[in-house]
Amino acid sequence: MTSDTQKSSDAMTKKKGRSIPELFALTVFLILLIAFFSFASEYFLDIENAINIVTTLSVAGIIAVPGTMLLIAGQVDLSIGSAAAFLGTMVGVYAIKDSLGVGIAAAVVIGIIVGLVNGFLITKLQVNSLITTLGTLAILRGLCYIVGGGQTIMVNDFTFLGLDRPFLNLPTSVVIFVFIAIIGGLVMKYTTFGRSLYVIGANPAASRLVGVRNSRVLMICFVLSGLSTAAAGLILTSQLGAAAPMAATGLELSVITAIVLGGASLNGGRGTISGTILGLVIIGVLNNGLVLLNVDTFWQDVARGTLLIVAVTFDQIRERWSIKHK
Amino acid sequence: MKHPDKVMNIISASGIRKSFGGVEVLHGVDLYLAQGEVLALLGENGAGKSTLVKIIAGDYVPDEGTITCGGNEFSSLDPIKARELGIRMIFQELNDAPTLTVAENISLGSWGAKNGFVSWKKINERAEKALALLGVNLDITKKVADLRIGERQIIEIARAVSENARVLVFDEPTAALSSAETERLFSVIENLRTKSVGMIYITHRLDEVARVADRVEVLRDGSVALMANAKTASRGELVSAMIGRDASDISHPTDRPKPGAKILSATSIGLDRAFSGIDFDVREGEVVALYGKVGSGTAEVAETIFGLHPEHSGNIELNGEIFEPKNPNSAIDNLIGFLPADRQRLGAFMIRPVAENLGVPSWPRYSKGGIITIDPEEKAYLNWTEKLKIRSRNDPKQKIATLSGGNQQKVLLARWFEGNSKLLVLIEPTRGVDVGARRDIYETLRKSAKEQNIGILITTSDHEEVVQVADRAIVMAKGHTVAEFKGNNITVESLISAAS
Repeated sequence: MTSDTQKSSDAMTKKKGRSIPELFALTVFLILLIAFFSFASEYFLDIENAINIVTTLSVAGIIAVPGTMLLIAGQVDLSIGSAAAFLGTMVGVYAIKDSLGVGIAAAVVIGIIVGLVNGFLITKLQVNSLITTLGTLAILRGLCYIVGGGQTIMVNDFTFLGLDRPFLNLPTSVVIFVFIAIIGGLVMKYTTFGRSLYVIGANPAASRLVGVRNSRVLMICFVLSGLSTAAAGLILTSQLGAAAPMAATGLELSVITAIVLGGASLNGGRGTISGTILGLVIIGVLNNGLVLLNVDTFWQDVARGTLLIVAVTFDQIRERWSIKHK
Repeated sequence: MKHPDKVMNIISASGIRKSFGGVEVLHGVDLYLAQGEVLALLGENGAGKSTLVKIIAGDYVPDEGTITCGGNEFSSLDPIKARELGIRMIFQELNDAPTLTVAENISLGSWGAKNGFVSWKKINERAEKALALLGVNLDITKKVADLRIGERQIIEIARAVSENARVLVFDEPTAALSSAETERLFSVIENLRTKSVGMIYITHRLDEVARVADRVEVLRDGSVALMANAKTASRGELVSAMIGRDASDISHPTDRPKPGAKILSATSIGLDRAFSGIDFDVREGEVVALYGKVGSGTAEVAETIFGLHPEHSGNIELNGEIFEPKNPNSAIDNLIGFLPADRQRLGAFMIRPVAENLGVPSWPRYSKGGIITIDPEEKAYLNWTEKLKIRSRNDPKQKIATLSGGNQQKVLLARWFEGNSKLLVLIEPTRGVDVGARRDIYETLRKSAKEQNIGILITTSDHEEVVQVADRAIVMAKGHTVAEFKGNNITVESLISAAS
């Protein structure tokens, strides 16, 4: 028995090294990307530019944490971009009508409601999450224009979330993002909630038969996603000093690209928060570098789309490979 | 058995051999069928019945042997050739188009279209003619979806007949039929016999053999074990040809501890059409088997206990108190563990680690305020892989998909031992499990019932399994209890006889 345990703990430490290579290729890619842009542009390798990159990705990052949880559980929330814009608009509307405080509270409450509605349709009525949230994406974007009258609403004296740098010269949004990412990573690893997401994603029919409360867990996840869009909407509004109806258009593309790039499986059951962060940084660096090289913004869309397809293809190849070889 | 005159045979296959992945499943099998003859084809699961008929229907190419049909000899057939020769399979699963009418379904695939236009007159004529031939009255304008299962089966037969089928292969045709529908099918078969159609009739029901067939052929482990006159062959003869050995080869458990207090008792429970009026109990230290063919209702009884059919009727008591299983969680909270029949679809988390697969039901115990670490799971992994002889890489993170079927099944059992279940409800616990792992699983079940004083309820269609593992066996057929056996009175013969 003792020697057996010894042997297996040896095996365990050996195998622990195996989880690294999953992110190894990505890390190498990121380093090459950084090296390339550093060489190509004199402005790239600069602390202020680094802060700039992290600030830009913090909005997508905050949403990508619950987004990763959802994808691991085999679900997807496409309504995030328009939800963020809609909740930003709500801040604007209530800030003018009542006060900024009421606006912030409204965004948070409505964010939760959006999550509950998505979650209800998907878990209780069993509508496919891709379709459901594609629907709410369109609905919320339309509501932005209806509620805001199609105008950009100025929101004054709301610099705290987007522009102020209270800590280590970092904007509040970055601090929030880092905090949420760390908490998210810990939740996925050290809570029954987080670990349930993996088994639900791997096999929802089986997880129900071993006592996992699928609906409840997924509902919480969609509410977290709604809450994160509230945070995103607030930050965007604070950054601009205004709520714009077309804000965060296509945000879902960046978020899902980052998640899939980071190794979460479209079939559920696989993925990590740290992988997603790596994916986010790659996209952030790529966008930033292309801007510094004066590449047309339309080409940035092309680059992001290509990256998504490459990431998904990579995911499929990995899936097939792991079925065959492991 | 003397081979009759070849001219008489509508089809014959001789010396058929077939291997899959290096394993030979048919070792030179013969089969012949005369015009207007019904041949019952018997054999246990895996004996090679379906492989043989699929070769006859052109779905598989035999490695060796010949098929003679319509005066020609073939080394193999393909589905199109088989159709031309008039060979048709009537499958268990219906291949009809439920949204179309009876007439359309009978003519399915050959609508006699001219220049792309369909002739409704021809379609209707054809359907009427085929049904008349079978001696069946059916409204041909009815939608097939509105028909009963037996009527739909008759439509499949009518379709084959309308395409001039000469050889019909029935694969357990009565498995899903009521007794009235079964009678009607038999009269259809009689009608076809007078029209010189030859029929191969695969069945598990021994009483149907003499009733419907002229001759009987029994396959065992890929060889012909018996060819006999169906009217004179005795039940015992057929059973021993099927299992191929004295039942004494399949041994009973060596020790039977005295059962303790009642854990579960079900009184007159029922569920829709699946089963009704079922009574049984399970005591501490006891293994109880619900034995019956697929579709007899045994699996549904097990699912009901585990809370998958909250709409059931009757009373269930757990440890002497009323228990209402309304969902899996209510069962798990009451220390009931469950093994579904379909391991891949409902049991395992294939892409997840073995340790996690083993640990999930115990998460509430491992965690405190929702916080959990991986350590208890990995300890459980080490413990149970050793105790249940689960062959793995000794790596808790190894994906369960990489284990063999038998070892996967052991992990899925271990998850409930680790979960401290007091009652295990197991559906087909050794389906798709190799012989070695099967023995380990029986041993484990016997041992844990005795040592941990838990009650075990298994549902199975494998009679040998019942003999080897059960202290009590309840035999079910068509949703009812038909017999009950205890201890060493549980024998293969008694089970097969009672169930068929």
